[in-house]
Amino acid sequence: MDRLRTSDRAAAEELFSACYPRLAGWVRRLVDDDDTAHEIAAEAFTRLLGRWSRLDNPQSYLYMIATNLVRDHWRKTGRERRALQSVGAAAAADPVYQPAQDVHVRALLQALPDRLRSPFLLHYYAGFPVRDVAALLGRPEGTIKADLFQARARLRTALGEADD
Amino acid sequence: MTDPRDDLDAWMKTQVQPLPPPPGTFELIRKRARRRKMTRAAATAAGAAAVIAVIATVPRLVLTQLHSGPGPAASSSDLGQSSAANGSRHHQRASAPPQPTPDPTPSAVAPPAAPPDFAATSVTFVGTATGYVLGQAGTPGHCGPPSAYICTSIAGTSDGGRTWHGVHAPVAGAPQGPSGVSQVRFYNTSDGWAFGPQLWATHDGGRTWKRIGTGGRRVTALETAGQRVFAVWAQCTGRGADWAAGCTGQALQEAAPGSNRWAPVPGAGARFSVSGTASAAALVLTGRRGYLLAPDGMLLSGPVTSAGGWQPVTGTPAPCLPGAAQADGQPGGAMLASTTTGLVLVCPGAATGGSQTKTVYTLAAGARAWLKAASAPSAGTATSVSGSAASTIVLASTAGIEVSRNGGASWTAGQGTLPAGGFSYVGMTTADQGVAVPADPAVHAVWFSYDGGATWQESPIG
Repeated sequence: MDRLRTSDRAAAEELFSACYPRLAGWVRRLVDDDDTAHEIAAEAFTRLLGRWSRLDNPQSYLYMIATNLVRDHWRKTGRERRALQSVGAAAAADPVYQPAQDVHVRALLQALPDRLRSPFLLHYYAGFPVRDVAALLGRPEGTIKADLFQARARLRTALGEADD
Repeated sequence: MTDPRDDLDAWMKTQVQPLPPPPGTFELIRKRARRRKMTRAAATAAGAAAVIAVIATVPRLVLTQLHSGPGPAASSSDLGQSSAANGSRHHQRASAPPQPTPDPTPSAVAPPAAPPDFAATSVTFVGTATGYVLGQAGTPGHCGPPSAYICTSIAGTSDGGRTWHGVHAPVAGAPQGPSGVSQVRFYNTSDGWAFGPQLWATHDGGRTWKRIGTGGRRVTALETAGQRVFAVWAQCTGRGADWAAGCTGQALQEAAPGSNRWAPVPGAGARFSVSGTASAAALVLTGRRGYLLAPDGMLLSGPVTSAGGWQPVTGTPAPCLPGAAQADGQPGGAMLASTTTGLVLVCPGAATGGSQTKTVYTLAAGARAWLKAASAPSAGTATSVSGSAASTIVLASTAGIEVSRNGGASWTAGQGTLPAGGFSYVGMTTADQGVAVPADPAVHAVWFSYDGGATWQESPIG
């Protein structure tokens, strides 16, 4: 991280080159299309650059922002979907190809409470160790472990019910 | 039943497929971050500084944020800019909205010059004197500040197109797949939008622009009148400068002009593609009502003076379908315009050897069926149509401009020194004044008529 601070622009560009494709791909699995994934990834990087000099772990911060933006996106699309249904029109199927498994699990993830969803995404999906997730979310490691266990249990139950 | 553990474990173990950034993303991010810092700093300073200090700062911001592109024109291929005209739409409104507070920029400061090598793609007017043109200007790589490679620029006029000055543009590139902007509309001298495919909004006369999230959908049309702004959002697959191609799932969204909160229009906010067939939709607003020609040819209408539901107008589809979009997002198969007595629909036939049949239909106010009115001259390929007075129709094509003052029964060619390649767009601001954008953006000008379309004169920009 010291090196990042010695040359902010070069370090930011380096982080961008190294992290953007994976971050955008990570978001892509959680949203509807490439455009939205790029919007969210770009917004996460924009916010990151705004706090660049004050961060010890930019990559963690990046995924934390992206997680929140994905959550906001889900809320917004949920509102839109309800609005469409309220005018009596069924939305056409999204023309963008989505692996069925992704859509299935993603829908269940959306239903998780924030308390469980954020650690789940950061740990199992973004690949951060429990210790980092705890630091990011400001909770004890033990709590994060319990949250992860509970999130998995809920998802498995929901998946089981959906398949019945 | 499958084992739920399989689904969950498989999902968690699936490798993330990297999604590379579109060209110029890092530069865009840097600009956006820097602009936010400036905004925050300005807000902080404004809380503590005297008003005089703010006034002294504004002109400097104006000058430093303008996109001016010094240097000779060069290939724009680096940015993927199209060498063809992207077309435009001209904002035509029957009733003028209330004017906002005048620009606080001190009057003693001369407005900055319009950027050089201005290639116009879209024009909008607020009344007869004040207008804005959006396009690409300067030389990619030399367009800063704030970005050397983003050359989207806006020129403004406050004297009906006789002179032009620079106006802040959104930090967005030329249309490139899902990115960039190509079109512009203003509701008044404060509230405006740049769109196609992205959507940006300003509420301070262009001083600052904000990107509006569209959930990945592209904005193919936007018009504002009455007390609303409407836009067609669509799922599109077109790449590069062909950004409006492959559009399905169009839906009409609306917002109040001073707001960034967009919502589906009741009755037209659902996706109304024809069985998923890629197509376009036409949007026309008058001072009281809006009209949407959906991809399936059905005409919907609703109020523009308040939020309200839109409903079908005609019982049967229009005599021609909108079909695929032109380069500017507008339909190529059906061109819609309004006059003071109803709607005009131009149905172009197949283009062969530089000519094309162009059948004109009308729909009188209150009627439920289109009536075949006449045929327009066959020279050129139709690109845009506009109406003004009761029976006046102005049609732009790759051959020039044709005007009919009797509902299409007879036509007269617009006179003047017109650009080779004709026009990509024409719009009448009033019964007398109109503006047209050349099909070849390298002309660096737009054309005006002050006599109802009879004669047209060039207005160079930049």
